[in-house]
Amino acid sequence: MENNPQTIETKPVRITITLPTNAYFMSGIRNFTLGLIRNMTEFSEQWAFRFQSIVDELCNNAIEHGSEPGRDITITFVSTPHDSIEILVQDTGSGKNKMNAQELKKLVVERRDPKYVHTGIRGRGLSKIVAEWTDELEFKDIDKGGIEVRIKKFLNDPKLKEMSQYLESPNHLVLN
Amino acid sequence: MTQVNITIEDIPATTQGQIAKIVKFQGQLDESNVDEKAKTIYAVIEQNPQNLYLILDFEELEYMNSKSIGYLTDWYGKISEGKGKIVIAKARSNILDILQVVGLTQLINCYNTLDEAKFALLRQDTPGAAQPQ
Repeated sequence: MENNPQTIETKPVRITITLPTNAYFMSGIRNFTLGLIRNMTEFSEQWAFRFQSIVDELCNNAIEHGSEPGRDITITFVSTPHDSIEILVQDTGSGKNKMNAQELKKLVVERRDPKYVHTGIRGRGLSKIVAEWTDELEFKDIDKGGIEVRIKKFLNDPKLKEMSQYLESPNHLVLN
Repeated sequence: MTQVNITIEDIPATTQGQIAKIVKFQGQLDESNVDEKAKTIYAVIEQNPQNLYLILDFEELEYMNSKSIGYLTDWYGKISEGKGKIVIAKARSNILDILQVVGLTQLINCYNTLDEAKFALLRQDTPGAAQPQ
C-alpha cells in the first residue's frame, strides 16, 4: 500500500492502553506519556512533564472513584500533528466512591473557585493540575457505566512559545 | 510500588531549642507509595512538635503527585503551628512547576542550593538572607 507522506504527517495517531485498577502500574504509564509527548508531538519538554502529571492524576482519579480493584481503566491518547493532543480516561463505574459525570464536574467547578481553600490531603489533582494545564476538560457518563474524562491541549496556544523560551533556565518558573 | 527513599540528617541549629534537619527525597512520590512514606515525616513532626526546622532536599525527587503535595501542605501547617519552618531546596524544574501550579510556592519558599536554604531557614531575620527562587 502506498502512503502519502503528507497524509501520514497530519493524520491523528490514536493509542489506547487498558490497565488494571492498581496504582502499581502508574509509573510505567507516566514513562510512556513522557516518551510519547517527547517523540510524537511538538510539545516542549516542560509540557511532556505536565502531561505526565495530567495522565497520572486522571488515572488515579479513575482508580479511586471509578473502577473497583480487579477491573480496568482505559487511557486513550490522540495526537493530531501540528494541532493538539487529546487524552481520554474511562473507568467502569464500579468503584466504591463512584461519582457520575455531573457530580465530578460540580466538584471540580467548586474547587476551581479562587475562594475555595484546599484543606485536605486530596482534591488538587483535577481542579488545580489537570484543569490549569488543559484547554478543554469534559466529563461524560458512559452508556455501559462509568465516566469518561477527556482533556485537550492545543499546540497553537500563544503561551506555549513563551514558555518554551524559559526552559533553558531551570530556575525560571513560568506561570500558566 | 514505585521506588522512593527518604533519608533524614540532623544539621546544627543556630538558636537554642531549634531542631534542624535535612530530609532528602530520592525517586518518585506517587499514589503507590506516598501514604506509607508520609508516615516518616509525620513521625519526625510528632517527635519534635515545637521549633522544627526542615529543609526538604528535592534534588533527586523525580516526580510528585497531587496527594504528595497535599501531604506537603499538611506538614507545613503542623510545623508552622509548632513555631517551626519548612523550606525546599534544589527542586527540579518539573517539580517547581507543579508546586507553582497548585500555589504551594506561595506558602513554602524554594531555594537553588542547600546553603541558601540553610541560611534562609535558620537565619531568616538576618539582613541579606537568601531570596527564594
